[in-house]
Formats: sequence, structure tokens, C-alpha cells
Amino acid sequence: MNELAEPIGSPLTGPLAGPLAEPRPRIAAALTDDNELIAACRRGEARAMERLYHQYKRRVFGMAHRIVGASDAEEVAQEVFVRIFRALANFRGDSALSTWIYRLTVNASLSHLAKRGRRHEVGDDGLTDLPAPPPAERDSALASRIEAALAVLPPGYRAILVLHDVEGLSHEECAAILECRVGTCKSQLHKARARMRDLLGDSLRGPGDAR
Amino acid sequence: MTCDDVRPRLTAYLDGELEGDRGTVVRGHLRTCAACRQVATDEATLRDGMRALPTVDPPAAMWASIQAQLAIAEVEESKRPSWRRALSRWTPMLPRFAVGGLAAAAAVTVLWWRSHREPVQISQVVDHPSPEIQASRDIPTATPSSPPFGAPSFDDVTADLAAEPARTTATYAETATELVTLAAEVRPGWTDEQRATFDARVAELRAAVDRATDERPRQRAWRAMIRYLQQAIVRDDVALASGGVH
Repeated sequence: MNELAEPIGSPLTGPLAGPLAEPRPRIAAALTDDNELIAACRRGEARAMERLYHQYKRRVFGMAHRIVGASDAEEVAQEVFVRIFRALANFRGDSALSTWIYRLTVNASLSHLAKRGRRHEVGDDGLTDLPAPPPAERDSALASRIEAALAVLPPGYRAILVLHDVEGLSHEECAAILECRVGTCKSQLHKARARMRDLLGDSLRGPGDAR
Repeated sequence: MTCDDVRPRLTAYLDGELEGDRGTVVRGHLRTCAACRQVATDEATLRDGMRALPTVDPPAAMWASIQAQLAIAEVEESKRPSWRRALSRWTPMLPRFAVGGLAAAAAVTVLWWRSHREPVQISQVVDHPSPEIQASRDIPTATPSSPPFGAPSFDDVTADLAAEPARTTATYAETATELVTLAAEVRPGWTDEQRATFDARVAELRAAVDRATDERPRQRAWRAMIRYLQQAIVRDDVALASGGVH
């Protein structure tokens, strides 16, 4: 699927809405690797910036969505992308571009929660309000309960679960993003999963499973 | 091998990180222990359920909103004085240079600029001492009265540059104070052990701030404290169990 083909709309109004002369792309070939993409974004090439956005939008938005919750996810994701484009000039390449972007996302999400002074999205009661999963819809019901349980977890546990289990990143990548040791990352994942198991209880079992 | 030995290793086992004998002994225990087997089954279901969570798509208009914010930021940026823009570009690299070196470079630039823009009068240079001299005399660094429109104010530049490190340090200190207040609010939710770890680490970081005699090390110490406080407030056990990333 060609993601660049998606309509992007143009809600700009006033003097900012007018057409803007763009820098002429100096790269004739496709933007195949991160270095070319970064260089083109630094020059302000709209095509490259849009490419970078589409490349990372789902993960950035998905991480923010699951760490700060649905209501604030767009605000945080927007803030992350604005920071990315404004800070690309200072990106030194000490880590992979993706690691840097995910680190910005996690940090922005956690800072957002700290600023908001809210440690939990919903109380534990939010889980008990969810209906018991009928067998035929067990998978989707389980997904809903997992999302609800995630929102109850402390943000640190939420971050490691989203990075490792939802996004499928390795412990090494998670450690680089969270700026902690790989061992710390593993132990946090173990504790976070244990908390999730406690929260979800029997929801994790099929109708015929014995306790 | 007992249940207490196996439980802490289940996550690593299920993620395929235990090879050879280490995996075999866990598997052997699971064959004979129904309780651990149930825990392992639950965790595997959880792991698979997390991995299968649906992708969340951002709103279609988000890119346009980001472009609008970037456009606004660019307009704001273009209104900033050129020396401030240059200073922001340098800021990430500041740790590599001594602040004094930066001030000296700025002073040289100012003198060079003046010599090319207007005739230099010795008395003018003497009347405007370098930032270091100015700081040592404890002269207030408030901006002098504004020059006529169109006339560049070189005195403003040097005075502002000299005051920049102190302003930055003050900002760090304010931020840390706010975070300490925020940490006090969430503290009741911690365990005794976490509180003790937090107190010890904060005391250690505070001592590092007090020990720093120059602006740059002091700023570094404040930044370490801010980083830790942020971790402690939002990351819970990562920071509170180990004292954070040192």
C-alpha cells in the first residue's frame, strides 16, 4: 500500500494556508535509508517529511494511545512529530532513528502523564465493569480487557509492555528507548506481566480451562 | 527445581530466551506442576493477546495539524533575533565547550562586527567589559535601555550571553523544585523500600549539585536530578527499585 497516497487534507487557514515554494529535492533517487531521509527533512523537503511521518505515524500514535489513553493520544503524537522535525537538525545518529523517535514518544507520553498528575487512566473497578467474555467473542473481549488492564497499570509498566509485547521490540531496543539496562528491562517486563495476569485473572482462560 | 525457582524465569522461558539446560529444567518442572503450568499458560495467552492487539490508526487530519504547528513554529522562529537562533543551535553542544570560551568567542565576534560596521573607538571597548569582568564586578545584567530602532545593541548581546548560564541554572533549579513537589504527591503510593531508595538518591543528587562550583557541572547535576525525579514520578519501579540510570 502506498501510504503517501492517503489524503492529508489542509486545515490551514489565513496567511499560513497559501502555497509555499519548496526546496528543490537534491536527491533524485528514492529516500531509501534513514540518512537520506534525515538529510532531506533537514532541508525542509515536504516529500521527505511526509514520508517520515507516514513511516512512523502508526507506532508513534499507537504507543501514545496505549500509554496516555485515547483522549490525549493525538495531542501527544502531534507534539512528538513537531519535536522530531524541529530537533532533527540536532540528531547526531548516536542511536537508530527509530529508537530516537520511540524514545521521544515514550518520554513525551510519560511527561504528559506527569504534567497531568494522573497516574492511572481508570481505577481497578473499570475492569470489573467489563462484561465476561462469551466464548464466541473471547478474542475481541480479551483484547478489550487487556486494553483496560493496560490503562490501570503504572505508566512504567505500561511503557515496557507496549514496547516489548505490543510493538514487538527487543529487550535491547526497549532498554535503549527507556534508557535503562537490559536486565532492568527484563525484570520490569516480568513484573508488568505478573500485574497484568493478576488484573485479568480468569479472563485469560477459556471456558473449559481449570484453575 | 521448585516453583519459586521457576516463576521468575517463566517470562524469559516463554520469550524463548532460555536455551539448553536452562530451558529444559523449566519445561521439566512445568510437566509436573499444574500450578506453574497454569501460570505459564496464562502468561502465554497474555503475551499472544498483547501482540494481537489491533493497530491504532491516527486521525487522517493529524498530518495537516502537524504541518500547521510546524508552520507556526517557523514563523515564530523567523521573528527571533539571529544571535538567539545561533545560540539555540549551539545549546545542544554547550557541554562540549566551556561557557567562558563561548563568551570569549562572542566577544571576538562582536568586536569584529563592530570593526566592520562602524569605526571602533577605544573608549567604547573599554566601557563595555567582557562578560567575565562584568560578572566578577557583580554588575546587574539587566538589559540597558533600548537603542534606536535599526541600531544593533552589542551591549545587550554580551550581557545576555554572560547571564545565560546563571539563568539556565535557575531554570533547572525551579524545575527540580516543582518535580520534588510532584514526587511528594505520589509518594504515599510507594512502598517503604521505594521511599528509602528515592530519598537516598535525591540526597545524593542534591549533594552533587551543592558540590558543583561552576555553572556547567552544576547544570549537569541539576539535569541528573530532574531526570531521576521524572523517572521516579512516572516510571515507578524502574527508578525506584534501582535508583534510576546513574
